[in-house]
Amino acid sequence: MVEVGTLVISLLTFLIMFWLIQHFAFKPLAKMLEQRRNHVETQIAEAEQGKTEAEKLLAQQRDLLEQSRREARELLEVARVRADEQARQLVEEAQLQSQRILTEGRALIERERAEALAGVLGQVTQLTVELTTKLLRDHVSEAVHAEMLKEAEQKLGELVC
Amino acid sequence: MDAFPYLWSNTLFKVNLTTWAMTVLTGLIVFIVLRLGVRHLDMRHPRGMQNLLESAVEFTSNIAKNTMPNQQAVRWVLPFAFTTLIYLFVANWLGLVATVALHMQHPLPWLGLTATALATAHGKVILLDSPTANMSFSLGLALLVWLISHGRGLRHPKMWLKHFISPSPFMLPFNIIEEFTNPLTHGMRLYGNIFAGEALIGVLVGAPLLWGFVPWSMPLLFVWLIYSAFVSTIQAYVFTILLTLYIGNKSHEPQEVHHGL
Repeated sequence: MVEVGTLVISLLTFLIMFWLIQHFAFKPLAKMLEQRRNHVETQIAEAEQGKTEAEKLLAQQRDLLEQSRREARELLEVARVRADEQARQLVEEAQLQSQRILTEGRALIERERAEALAGVLGQVTQLTVELTTKLLRDHVSEAVHAEMLKEAEQKLGELVC
Repeated sequence: MDAFPYLWSNTLFKVNLTTWAMTVLTGLIVFIVLRLGVRHLDMRHPRGMQNLLESAVEFTSNIAKNTMPNQQAVRWVLPFAFTTLIYLFVANWLGLVATVALHMQHPLPWLGLTATALATAHGKVILLDSPTANMSFSLGLALLVWLISHGRGLRHPKMWLKHFISPSPFMLPFNIIEEFTNPLTHGMRLYGNIFAGEALIGVLVGAPLLWGFVPWSMPLLFVWLIYSAFVSTIQAYVFTILLTLYIGNKSHEPQEVHHGL
């Protein structure tokens, strides 16, 4: 049979025990568990946030890298074009210069040849005159002499030219 | 039938002293063990007892999650469910670990141990057993659960009234009958299992020796103890499940979708 006294007293005892256990043992445990749950949740949230940020940064860096790569390529292209241009100019200038030097050299040679020829011509004339004088000392008057000289000069001129 | 010491044994309000003492003892054991367990709580590095307690809380929480409508209700019932689970576990095991009985020749009428009571119990007075092996305590606990469930149900009086005629008004008589059978079976199941276990242990322990010296009942006792230990554990679990189920059935809060956790 159910004994009301036992029921009521033991139930009251159970309730008191429950209160003691709940207050002094379960509460700290539940509090700690709640704390841990919060901690884990915050950590997860932070990790997710960090990940998003990292992805954003990575995308940024990738963009930057791509941009700088593109810029480098452009710079390289410009530099190559410029270098080509410069090389072409240099070659052109060198060609011009060499042309000029060649022309100048030719002119110089021409002039020197003319000078040398003129010198030789003078000397030959003089030698001819002297030789002729020696040969014709007695046979040629001043007038004839002059005429002969003129003729010789003319002939020499024909010879030379 | 074993005899128990009683207070106010001649009145309608007689109190079984052994059962009362056992409820106190069980409570103290649970209290001390839990106190020892929560001595050095560490959020990051749980050690030893803390792990055990945490898994017990987790276990209870999972039981409650399956039967309570939402997370808030789970948190509300968790202290009661957890304490009951541990308390009943200790209470059910108490009678298996030790049974203390006195053989009394002289009646103590003021403790209810009258000559007739002693005679029917062959002088055997139980001083230590499971409190749950007492029908009054087990039914009392079931009654407590019943009261709590209705107290919680009355937070939403309209829905509380409505749940008597759900799913249809034809169910009203059955729902009303259920209000009596539920707490009755809830308490009697616990009491019956534990009492039966201990009664048979008592019989096996007290069995006469074969030829005066062969304890033939020892192997049987051993097997029965193991089985009783299993039953004790399961009954604590079953009582707690039903506790959360009965309270959950009357928690008329909005249903929450569980996320499998």
